[in-house]
Formats: sequence, C-alpha cells, structure tokens
Amino acid sequence: MAPSPAPAPRGFSRRALLAATGGLALLATGCTGGSPGDAAVSTEEADQLAGQVAVQEAVVAAYAAAAAADAELGATVADLARQAGEQLDRLRAAAPAVGSSSAPASSPAAAAPAGGDVRGWLRGQVAAAAGAHADACVDQSGPRAALLGSLAAGLRGHEAALA
Amino acid sequence: MAEEDGTGAGAEDTALGEAMAAEHAAVWGYGTVGAALPADSRAQAAAAETAHRDVRDRLAELLQSRGVEPVPAEGGYALPFPVLSPVDAAGLAVVLEEGTAAAWVRVLDQAGQSVVRELAAGELAAAEVRAVGWRTAAGRTPVTTAFPGLPGA
Repeated sequence: MAPSPAPAPRGFSRRALLAATGGLALLATGCTGGSPGDAAVSTEEADQLAGQVAVQEAVVAAYAAAAAADAELGATVADLARQAGEQLDRLRAAAPAVGSSSAPASSPAAAAPAGGDVRGWLRGQVAAAAGAHADACVDQSGPRAALLGSLAAGLRGHEAALA
Repeated sequence: MAEEDGTGAGAEDTALGEAMAAEHAAVWGYGTVGAALPADSRAQAAAAETAHRDVRDRLAELLQSRGVEPVPAEGGYALPFPVLSPVDAAGLAVVLEEGTAAAWVRVLDQAGQSVVRELAAGELAAAEVRAVGWRTAAGRTPVTTAFPGLPGA
C-alpha cells in the first residue's frame, strides 16, 4: 500500500515520536532534570529507587543461576540476560544512593531448581521483579517513574518471551 | 487535577492527549495489519486493535472528566513503509506498539497523579508484551527490548 498523502500521525511519525519523548532524553545518562515532576528527590524516593536496584540485581543473578543450571537455556536467553544487565546499569546510574557503584550484581537469587523447571522458575523471578518495579513506579515521579515503568515493561516482555 | 505531587495538570493532560493520539493511530493501523495477514492469523491483530480501542475510549473519558477536549483521530494516516506481506504487517504492528509505548513513557514522565502513573505503567507493559509477539512474527531478534518507550530503546 502506498503511503497516504495525509499528514503522519503522532503514532507513526519519527519526528513526532522524537518530540513526544524528547523530554526523556536525559534518562539515557541517568540525569533526572527537565521534567515537571522532577523536583528534588525525596529521601523516601531515593531509598525506594535503591531498593529497586536490589530487585534488578536479583534478576541478573537469576539469569546467571538459570544459565548455570541449564546451559542450553542459558544460551537461549543470553539476549535477555544482557538486557537485564543493561537495565541494572541504568537503574544504578539513576539511583542517587548507588549511582556511582560499579560493583557487579550481588543480590543472591534463590537457587534455580536443578533438574526442574528452570525456565518456569526464571519466568517467575522475572515476573516478580516486573511487578515490584511497576509498584515502585507509581510512587515515583518524573524521569524516575518513566525509567521504572520502562524497566517493568521490559521485564514483562521477558516474561512473555520465556512463556 | 494533577497536583498530587506538585506536577502541573497541564503537562499531565498534554501527555495524556499525546497518548490518545498514539492510540488513535494504533487503532487505525491495526486495520492495515489485519488486512495484510492471512485469515487464520488475524486474531492477534484483532485482539490488539480491541485493546487499543478500549484504552483510547478510557482516555477520552478521563480527559472529558477533566474538562479537556479529547484529541480527535486524524483524517488520514501515512504508513511508515508499504505493508505487502504478513512480515510487513508484523513490522507495522511493532511500530504501532513502540509508538504507544513511547507515549506512555511520556505520560509517566509528566504525570502528577499516582492513578495516572498506574494506568500508564499498565498500558506500557501491555504494549511491550504485544510488541514481543509481533517482533517474533516479524522474525526479529532479540524479540525483547531493555527499555520499552525510552529514547534509543
């Protein structure tokens, strides 16, 4: 079908999409300036964001544990594990209390069930983290809410891919 | 209305309007997606179209309840590329879902009310889950993205 001569809507147009998301560009570097809801981060918000770092560390650990328990599964979900690590890096950068940390993931995940349903176990771990991020997102504001909501959605996507 | 945490109602309403515009586009676009799929593969597109139609209507009600005129659908839409095959259709569906995801992230960024953030987080996740299915159908890898809706995702 040939493109319509009608003006591109906001849902399609790259320019419009960039405009719609332009205010979030600072998230890429973990900076939290520029949004109407971006007043100084309260202690409560900072603590909660730090808590979500631990949640994401557990996801990274869960992917590692699953790969250790089932090498074939580990190869299958390598992209997902890499994305979980990228999420952790950005979350650490955005969390005031742990933003400078470069330590590897340290939160232990529950051990993957050896010989059991490792994929199902991993999916459960991911789903729990997605729910935690989504809950935390509601209590945050501005770029922090956007980041946590995006992480939650990303992990819901992982959950779907693991189904 | 959006003063729960000091955020202006105008910014939140504007972001909700942008989300509604993206939902309008998705509703329209899924008509094209479905038309390019074989009959036995259209259920996924139909379900997605229904989901977007429902959230569009929900947004209209929300904006009207605030005294804000809901954003109307465009008179016509330009496809980002020709849709000539089921793979093209799946690719278009990915564009639609990623477009709505970006709009919902914008809502999260601008929202002052927790109830709006809850709505946005739910719709953002739903869009990404649908996108995973369409990326799979389009033969893309990886089928997931680390940061749905965020710039550069």
